[in-house]
Amino acid sequence: MPREDYAALQPYLETVKLEMRQTLIEPNQPIEHVYFMESGYSSIVSNGGDAKVEIGIVGREGLVGVPVVLAADRSPFEYFIQSPGSGYRMPAQHLDQAVEDRSSLRRFLLRFAQALNVQTSRTAYVNAEYPLETRLARWLLMCHDRIDGDDLQITHDFLSLMLGTQRSSTTLGVQALEGHRMIRARRGKITILDRKTMEQVADDGYGLPEAEYARLIEGA
Amino acid sequence: MPRFFFNVRHRPGPDGLAVDPEGEELADVDAARERALFQAREMIARERHTFIRDWMVCAFEILDEAHQPVLTVPFSDTVPEGDFD
Repeated sequence: MPREDYAALQPYLETVKLEMRQTLIEPNQPIEHVYFMESGYSSIVSNGGDAKVEIGIVGREGLVGVPVVLAADRSPFEYFIQSPGSGYRMPAQHLDQAVEDRSSLRRFLLRFAQALNVQTSRTAYVNAEYPLETRLARWLLMCHDRIDGDDLQITHDFLSLMLGTQRSSTTLGVQALEGHRMIRARRGKITILDRKTMEQVADDGYGLPEAEYARLIEGA
Repeated sequence: MPRFFFNVRHRPGPDGLAVDPEGEELADVDAARERALFQAREMIARERHTFIRDWMVCAFEILDEAHQPVLTVPFSDTVPEGDFD
């Protein structure tokens, strides 16, 4: 973020701990705070009757609260902490005002909104097009990008929720990746062992949103 | 409620068994069988895996809390008898 824009937000930023499964933004409720995470990552999920499917992941690379930048006061989707950590929050109204006042900040955050839109769109493509192993490899890579180290604290039950699949399908997928030594799975934990091979399995499901983020945000 | 583990057999041999490390709490063995059939139907209808060509050769090998086998539910049990006539 441009330094002057950060300085404009700084007085409103409040340090927060972000707990596992903590809801950051409730669906269909006025957004009170937006969040900049420094560690851990969050999920955006679309809730149906019985189903709940992940449609976005945001960690230290972005803003939790893009609808505010897009002049919306609420979102139909739920935003919650998937991997605990810490970061900053600020009242949504101050971000709304800052975006109004500062075109450089607005353009920067709109570019992130586009990067996140590309991620979500690619998720739709991957869910329609690819078998579970591809989707699982992609998802694990996206989480791995947002942590330090190689250990993801994750259960099959939760993975199934995120991938919109049956728990036993996740069990099959995890065995396939573990059988090829890409990961080591223990109860409640998956360790990434071989990222390179996982990127091959993830195929073109992984990489496009990441390249678009680098182009839009990092100027790569 | 007791916990049941839903291992999935997809081909013979040690590499052909996907082990469920977590299990699920269900009322009894009947409920575990129903749960297996529900998952099998959903998986047959909706899931694709790189290494499974035929769901009909797959089976749930269900274990109890002590990891003792209690029930095998072939995916083919989702097809009502008579459909093969």
